[in-house]
This record gives sequence, C-alpha cells and structure tokens, in this order.
Amino acid sequence: MTTDLAPALLEDTHLGPHAGGLYRRQNIWTGLAAGIGLGFVGWLVSHAALQGSNWGTDMVVTVTMVGWVVGFNVGVGTFNGPLRWMLGHDQSHEDELYAAGVGQGRKRYYKFCTDHKVVGTQYLALVIVLFAIGGTLAMLMRTQLITPHTDFLSANAYNAIVSVHGMCMIIATIIMVTGPFTNFIMPIMIGAKDMAFPRLNAMAFWVVFSAIPPLLATFFLGGVDAGWTTYAPLSVQAPPAMDAFSIALIVFAISVTVSGANTIVTILTMRAKGMTFGRLPIFTWASLIGAALSIYAMPALLIAFTSMISDRVTGTSFFVATQGGTGWLWENAFWIFGHPEVYIILIPPVGAMMEVAVTFARKPLFGYKVTVAGFVAISALSIMVWAHHMFTTGWAPTLAGPFMVTTEIISIPTGIIFLCLIGTLWKGRIWTRLPMYFVYLFLWNFIIGGVTGIYLSDTPADEYFHGDMFVTAHFHYTLLGGAMIAATAGLCYWFPKITGKVLNERIGKTAFWMIAIGIQVTYFGMFWEGFEGMPRRVAFYDPTFQPANDLATGGAYLLMLGWIVLLYAGINSVRNGPNATANPWHAKTLEWKVPTPVPLENFLVDPVVTSDPYGYGQPEPVGPPVVLPPHPDRELVPNISSDNPPAGGGE
Amino acid sequence: MSSDAPGVGEPPLLEPADPPVQEEPFFSRPLGKIFIIWLAMTTVGVLIGIFVPHHVMPTLLSHEATDVWRTIVLFTILAAPVAALVYSVAAYSLIAWRHRGNQDEPPEDGPPLRGNNMVTGVWLATSTVLVLVLLAWGLSVYSSDETSHPGTLVVDVTGQQWLWTFSYPGTGVNTRSLVLPINRPVEFDVTSVDVTHGFWPVALGVQVDANPGVVTVIRASPDKLGNFTVRCSQLCGLYHSFMYAPGAVVTKAKFSQWLQSQGASTTTAQAAALITKQ
Repeated sequence: MTTDLAPALLEDTHLGPHAGGLYRRQNIWTGLAAGIGLGFVGWLVSHAALQGSNWGTDMVVTVTMVGWVVGFNVGVGTFNGPLRWMLGHDQSHEDELYAAGVGQGRKRYYKFCTDHKVVGTQYLALVIVLFAIGGTLAMLMRTQLITPHTDFLSANAYNAIVSVHGMCMIIATIIMVTGPFTNFIMPIMIGAKDMAFPRLNAMAFWVVFSAIPPLLATFFLGGVDAGWTTYAPLSVQAPPAMDAFSIALIVFAISVTVSGANTIVTILTMRAKGMTFGRLPIFTWASLIGAALSIYAMPALLIAFTSMISDRVTGTSFFVATQGGTGWLWENAFWIFGHPEVYIILIPPVGAMMEVAVTFARKPLFGYKVTVAGFVAISALSIMVWAHHMFTTGWAPTLAGPFMVTTEIISIPTGIIFLCLIGTLWKGRIWTRLPMYFVYLFLWNFIIGGVTGIYLSDTPADEYFHGDMFVTAHFHYTLLGGAMIAATAGLCYWFPKITGKVLNERIGKTAFWMIAIGIQVTYFGMFWEGFEGMPRRVAFYDPTFQPANDLATGGAYLLMLGWIVLLYAGINSVRNGPNATANPWHAKTLEWKVPTPVPLENFLVDPVVTSDPYGYGQPEPVGPPVVLPPHPDRELVPNISSDNPPAGGGE
Repeated sequence: MSSDAPGVGEPPLLEPADPPVQEEPFFSRPLGKIFIIWLAMTTVGVLIGIFVPHHVMPTLLSHEATDVWRTIVLFTILAAPVAALVYSVAAYSLIAWRHRGNQDEPPEDGPPLRGNNMVTGVWLATSTVLVLVLLAWGLSVYSSDETSHPGTLVVDVTGQQWLWTFSYPGTGVNTRSLVLPINRPVEFDVTSVDVTHGFWPVALGVQVDANPGVVTVIRASPDKLGNFTVRCSQLCGLYHSFMYAPGAVVTKAKFSQWLQSQGASTTTAQAAALITKQ
C-alpha cells in the first residue's frame, strides 16, 4: 500500500487570509527578538535598581534570564492560546489548522506548530545541536588531558566546560527519545491523530529551546565551576554563571514535566479502538513509564534549583552550613531527581530499541508482559536508590546498607530486559540492517555498564571508586553506550518514516564501526584511569595516569568522528537519498501503515486494532474482515489494523 | 516436552518411514554450540577478574583496600557467566541465524515464540540468588569496615581550597602529609573549612567527604608499608586538580620519630605511637 494514498486532504485545505491570527506573524525570529528585548529591559531595570548592593549581580543575571525566557516564549507564540482565552475567545478551527502548519511548507518547522510530527522533528534537530555542543566540549576536555599539564585550557575554563558538558548531555539525553520519537512516532503507534494537548506539546519544545541560551551564557558569566551536580556550598559561591545555569534547569524541568504529562494523557486517552493495554507496542509502554517517572523526578530538580537561586539571590541559606543549612540537603534533592533521571533517559530508548529488535529478528517480542513488568519494577525501585550517590558523603551511614540493597535489587528487573532481548533474538531471522547493528552494540555496551555499576553499588568498593574516572566510564557506558546507542537504533529505524528518505547504510555502517570501537577505547581508558585512582573533573593530573588518558583521548576523537560521519550520512540522505516507501522494514506497528510522508492527523480513517503488533510467524488472519467506520469527508480507506489474532502466547 | 520429541513412540506409518531421526549430539545443537561459546567467554571473564585488577590498581596498603580488590574479583567472577550468556546468544544469533540472502527484502518470519515461563523463572531465580550473594558479601564487608577497634589512632583531617591538613590530637602535630603507623587501626575525623571536598587516601581504599560544619568519620587498617597519595574526590573549585597530599604507612618506630620531628615531645610521640591493640 500506501505512498499513493498521500496527499491527505487537510493539507490541501485553503485557509482564509486571516487564519491563525497572531500566529501568522510569529516565528523563531520574533521569539529571539522579543526574548533579547525583554531580557535587555530586565537587565536595564534591575541594573538601575540594584546597582551597588551585595547580591546585585546575581539578581541582575536572574532577572535578565527570566526576561529572556518569558520574552522568547511570548514572541514565538507559546502563550497565544491562553492569552486569547483570557481575552474571552478561543481560536477558531481555521486558526487551529494554521497553528498545525497547514499551507506553510517548511516554514512551519521554524514556528510554534501544534502538529506532533513537526514538534518531533524540531526536537530531533535540537537534540542533534545539543549533542554537537556537548560533544565539542568533551573533545576540548579530552584534548586538555593529552598530557598531565597541557597548556590548552585554563583551570577555570576546564571546570566551566565540565559543568556544561554534563548538563548539556543530560538535557540532550532526556529529550533524545521522548522528544523526537515519543512525539512523532508514539501517537501514530497507538492510532491517535495527535498528542492529547497539541499546544502544550509545542510549548514543551519552545520552552526547552529557550533554556539553551542561558545554559551557554554561563561561559560568559564566569563559568559554573561546580560540575553538573553543582554541589553546595561551592555552587552557592560560584560566579553569576550559576544563576543562568539554575534558570536553564528550572525552565528545562518545566518543559519535561509538561511533556511527560502530555505523554501520559495521550497514551491513557487517545488510543485507537481496540488498542488495549495488552496490545500497546512496547515503545509506547516505555514512553508511558518514562513519562510517569519524569513527572515524579522533575519537580525535585525544580525545587532544588529554585532554592539554589534563592540562596544566591535573596540570602536564604538552605545549603550553606555556616548559616544553618547543609550541603547534604542539596545532594539529596539533586539525587532524588538524579537517579530516576537516568531511567527517564534509559527506558524510552530501550523500548524503541526493542521495536527494532523485533522487526529485524522477525519474531514477536519475547516475554511482552515480563518486559513491561521489568520496566515498571525498574521505575519503582529507581525512586528508592538515590542515596547510593551519597555513600561517601558521610550522610546517614546507617542508610548505606538499605540503599545498597535497593540498588542491587534493581539489577534483577534490568536482567529481565536482557533476557527479553536475547529471547527475541533466539532462533530469529536476523536481518542485519543498520538499526540492528546498534541493537547488538547496545547489548555489548550495556552489559559492561551494568556490571561496573554493580561494583559501584557495593558500598566498600564505592569507597574506592567514588568520584574517580571509573564512575565516569561506568555512566558513559550506560548512558552513551546504552541509552544513546539504543536511541540511535531507533533513529536509523524510523529515519525513513520521519524524513521520508532512505538512510545511506554504507556510510552509516562506516560510522557504526567508528562509534563502536571509539566507545570501547575511550571508556576502557577511563576504567583504567579509575582503577589507578585518578579523580574526576581534573584538568591536570599525575604523570602516572598519562597512558590511560592518551588511550581515552584517542578513542574519543574516533568516537566523535564516528558521530560526525553518521550525521553526514543522515544529512546526505535527506538531501540526495531516494524516497522511502511507507513500510521499508515490513514492520507491523501502526506507524508503518500510514503513508510517508505522514499526512496531518496521520490517519485518513480511524484505525481499528485487532491484535498486538508482534504477529510474526503466524498465519494470515482468516477471521471476519475489519469493518471500518464510515467517514463523512474522506474517501481513502487504507488497510489499517494489525492483522493477526493473538496466538495465545507462551505466557 | 517429551511428547513433542520427534520419532519417539510413534506408530509406524503406512509407508516405510524414514529411519527415526537420530537426535543430534548436544554440541552440534544450538544450545550446545552456545554452551561452548559461553564457556569460553566465562573463562576469559573469570581470568580477567582474577588477574587484571591488581595490575591496574596502586599497591593496596590497608585491609579495606584489599577487601575492595577481593570484592572486584568476586563480583567479576559472578558477573562473567551472566554477561557471557548474553554475549554468547547474541554472537550465536549473528553466526547461525543471520539472514544471508538479499538484504533489501526481509527474511521470512521467525518462529512465533512469545515467551517461556520456565526460562524466565530460571533467569529470575538465578539473578535473585546472585544478587543475594552480592548483598551478603557487601553488607558483611561493610559492617566489618565500620567496626571501631580499641587502640585506634585518631587523625583529624581538614580540607580547604586547595590543601589538606592532618593533625594528631594530643601531640600538637599539624602537618601537610599523612603518616600512619602500620598494623594499627586509624580513624579519620574529617571536616572542611570552606566547600565540600572528598578525602580519599587512594591506596587505603576508603573515602569520605569533608563537609563544612560537620565531622565525618571513616576508618582504615593499614597493613602494608608504602607511600600513597591523598586526593580530593569532589570538585572543589579552581585548583581541584592540585589538591593532593603525600601519605605513607611506616613502622611504629619511624612513626614515633616522625612525630618528634614534627614537634611532638618525646613522651607524647612514644605514647601516641606505642598504643597497641588492647
């Protein structure tokens, strides 16, 4: 079927000259102008009012950054809907169509657009930019570490880069799957026309977009010298960069909370007829669980950084020991966010990768219910393990035992995820296209990340490794080697659906090998440094650590080059590649049953689902045909539903 | 399921049947081949666990550091079979079950296996047992590390941007290097005068943060002579990289001499050095 089903009718709708109202005039440029304008006004007013006071600079930076964020979002159109409600009238249907990007061609990607596919694509571009920034910062650090005393970065610049590299990558990895794929793919997977709250969806994107300039502005405000964890009281004393950093994180927390709520409501309420919870594709489950976890974790981040700003600007002392506070409060608040956060990063990509594994092993997912239970168990446990980051802080030594128990128990549901993956490969027909390469790389890396995590979960061993390069290597193996590689599998898999082009796999496989080898070399170097006893976050080090550092730096260059080659493969394919068919992988989830490019509102008729999407190796259905409901103004009737009745399974 | 096994107990068919299918020997079936790969990988993992860590770690000078090394070896040995299982199935699937035809078209579907309760159960039970072993080991080592011993030497450790100060209560000694007598438990009372630092005498295998306004405690039992470095494991600002101090584990006689050379009176130095286990 299907490419000839496009173009959909909605996109041909002719809108009147005033459709969209204010949206007609707004785009990213008006946003930038309004943001810079309001930021400048904020700077001017606060500077004039507060000149000479002790905490003036921090207040000025805070006001300026808030001015930027509010101004940008007003300028880009984030608040148009609510503002019109306040004025007593809602947007007309034409306005909504305009806001969904009808008739604007490519310009809609630079505007406040409510179409979930446009938002997904915008997220994808932002994620790539963030990875490029974070990766460049990583290369600067690795270059500094070539020799024990390289005269390349100053100590202050190095610390500033350490902090922003960390936070930039955390932001990028949190939204790398929930942004592009949960937005673009997940609604189609469950047979929905869009997300539950399209305006909120667009808002989540532009809000996180507006968080990036404050994050980068830290370089020009003295630099954050406290690492991405910004432990107090060092962070309370840090240069004004810390205010901008806090604003960036507060804004980011708002965005992720909003998008998490949107995802949950979408999955709970927007599923097509017949899309029962037992038939949800596993990626949808992963999105749901990841979103639930982010609703839990992000408020902690928001509270932590709000208190931080309060300490710095208004002279409260939540985190200042000499004035009755404690740094341990910061550490607890931060890690109550920080540990669920790694599973917010991890679970959605793993779900995406399982779709890939199913499609390229040509087999149903092994242990569907067990996998879902595994995700749920991981999430539930992940909110009870945060203090394993604090084994060596001296805080509550009696809790070291209990937190060690919860931390190590989490390896049981994680093991289940591995079982389901290798169970899916078992006796499959392994179709080794590019996405499947990354599934195997995930298996390799994540085992290493997981096993080294067990050492760190053991309090006595953590008292050796904590705060050294072993930890750095461990979490890069899990987050880069695990989550990001899984997300890359998903990207290569959905590339034809999202871009409408076929990905150049020849170049892609070259990139794959560079990335795969680069990861091993880089992080084996870092494990070595860690065993030798090299602390994290140092710009200068003992000469005995040099061989390990040179190995890591060499690997890092190869790794970065691999990502650049992959990016080139993507861009080259978008520009010059052949058009993709609707279902190049012959997969069975719903997103492959709609045309490519996907029309506005995705489905020409409402889909009816009759089975789960994993009916590989089962006979074609012989049951009664699916009766599609009549539809008044659309004539095209694609074959929508998945085909097969459930086979009863082996459960 | 034995009833599914081919050629067993079936009545003869009308036509002369093929000779009953000989069940393939274990090592030529997928499970057998995977077992061989698994065994090889497990062996490699166990050997790495036993022989590699102490080559890449500094000379370990305390009982606690040796415990860390033992933990790493034990955990690697326990993890090796699990990791090898995943790797061997993945490797075998690439060797034996790979689609080798036209890569532009998908292969025909694989068997519709949707799960296997027995495999899942065995996997769950095994991983639970492994985790319980890890926990039993870790908790017992941790509680023995935390026990305080009589005759413990107390050292007050103070971190500040960006240096360490060590003082030996009762002797008036205040230094920038950490000298410890061998075979005598030591308790570090750690604090900071400015921001959070991480007190990490690497080769002693213990660490605890130095927090402003509180005293945190960590214990170690040096049992080998040698030099080590005290490092800072928390990013503490501009010159975090340069925040380290020399350390040494010495004999009791040398420790007494060293205390005197640092200004302690002869009697206090001998008293401080000679307290032994009571």
